[in-house]
Amino acid sequence: MLTSDTGDGSVTRMPLPPPRIDAEEVAGVLTAFVNANVMARGRPIQPDDDFESAGVDSMGLLKVLLFVESEFGLWMPDEDLVEENVMSPRAIANYLCRRRGPS
Amino acid sequence: MAMHAPWKRAGQSNNTVMVVHCDGPLAVDRIRRALDLFLDACPWPASRLRRPFPWGKLHWAAGPRATLTPPPVRQAAATSTRELERLIEAEINAAIDPHREPPLRMLVIDTTGNGPRGQGVLVLTWFHPLMDPRGGQNLLARLSTLETNGGHDASLSREVTRDPRPFRERGRIARTSLAYMKSLAPVPPVSPGAALTTPGAVRYRQVSFDEGDPRLRQTRDISWRLAVVGKAMAELWRRRGLPDVPFLLPISVDLRPKGEPGATFGNLLAFHFARFTPSDTADVPALARALRQQMADAVRDGQIDANAVAMEFLHYRPLRTMLRALPWTAGGEIFSFNCADLGEFPPALARCFGRAVLNAYHVPAVPPRPGVGVFFNRCAGRNNVVVSWVDGAVSEEDASRLVDAVGEGMGWASTS
Repeated sequence: MLTSDTGDGSVTRMPLPPPRIDAEEVAGVLTAFVNANVMARGRPIQPDDDFESAGVDSMGLLKVLLFVESEFGLWMPDEDLVEENVMSPRAIANYLCRRRGPS
Repeated sequence: MAMHAPWKRAGQSNNTVMVVHCDGPLAVDRIRRALDLFLDACPWPASRLRRPFPWGKLHWAAGPRATLTPPPVRQAAATSTRELERLIEAEINAAIDPHREPPLRMLVIDTTGNGPRGQGVLVLTWFHPLMDPRGGQNLLARLSTLETNGGHDASLSREVTRDPRPFRERGRIARTSLAYMKSLAPVPPVSPGAALTTPGAVRYRQVSFDEGDPRLRQTRDISWRLAVVGKAMAELWRRRGLPDVPFLLPISVDLRPKGEPGATFGNLLAFHFARFTPSDTADVPALARALRQQMADAVRDGQIDANAVAMEFLHYRPLRTMLRALPWTAGGEIFSFNCADLGEFPPALARCFGRAVLNAYHVPAVPPRPGVGVFFNRCAGRNNVVVSWVDGAVSEEDASRLVDAVGEGMGWASTS
């Protein structure tokens, strides 16, 4: 919790801003999760690889989004489920950075 | 497998077919040779379903290689699209008895005359519990590769991935799945097949569509597709005057790791149970959101994993176990309708036995209750919608309306 002195003797409490995240690091974390939990052994993907071309289906993507929720505390609303936000680990990482503020 | 008591001796089919349209006639000898080569490495296409006497677990059994007879490969010709459909419907309805005959067979159809002229159509028919649709695709890809490579297919293995968790732990997890299923339907669901006294023949209608706007990612999500199918089904409900009780249906989840074909034989599916009322379908985007949330909750709560474990315990008889265990099945209903998205036809099958694949789709025989199912897949840049139904549960006109409503809901333009 942050506090600020308003000058009249009272103190306003403000919630802490969410920790800043690095897109490159997040893309790496997401790629590692996908390779460990969705992809077959020996068929790893890279941060820029397209999920659909790699064979990741609706359920696979849902697992990734649930991981994002547990790891970064953000649930992606349906209106944000567009191609440019979810097409690859890097796209999701960029989306998260936009929501949380880049470093 | 089991059937509702009134239909036990009605010969209701448990077949599934995969239809592959190729750019020219297919050589039957090449397919027979491929099956023969396949049996050198794997006996299951020539196996029989057995249960030890006097009681025991159902299992597939096959003798030594010398005793194995390859599954039959037959040939036919079709002079019109309608004749082709009749031949495919005959394959679905000629129920395979896995206790007495091989669990799969093939039919090669040459098209001439007014239909799609000069095509070779391969129809792979199998007893559904032998393998799931992705397994059927894997089998065909492996047969085609084997034949082309002269008997060498490095991907062919008998490896079976076993759940490493102890038996007692898996039993506990499976029981949570059953408890979850029992809690799903406070009132019995209704299906179009509820009024059937005897099951009719299985019919199907397949239509290909051009993709709408490819940027609309949302429409490729199973939640969106299910919402669109739900809306189409709700219109059928309204015409029938059926009550606004919740739809309940299983959504299959492919458990194979992604990026490689994975296992061929056996059931690699778990199920998520979607539920919503016909009146919920008035707002498709809102319904898609709610269905996605249901699926997310099921993953969070471990219900899909629990169902995967339970399916292993049910072992070839999920229907009978469900009928015994679930309160809502007392009246004969299990689910309201079936729906699945089989995804992209594998790139490994861009060519099949030397021919380019023009289109391919699956047609499963749906049980009399629910009596109707809608299935999606994509092949060669086309979206296929297949409606499979039991005559009497819905009519041909109902099925056509369903296809039209689904195509319209998806924003697709028909190509066939």
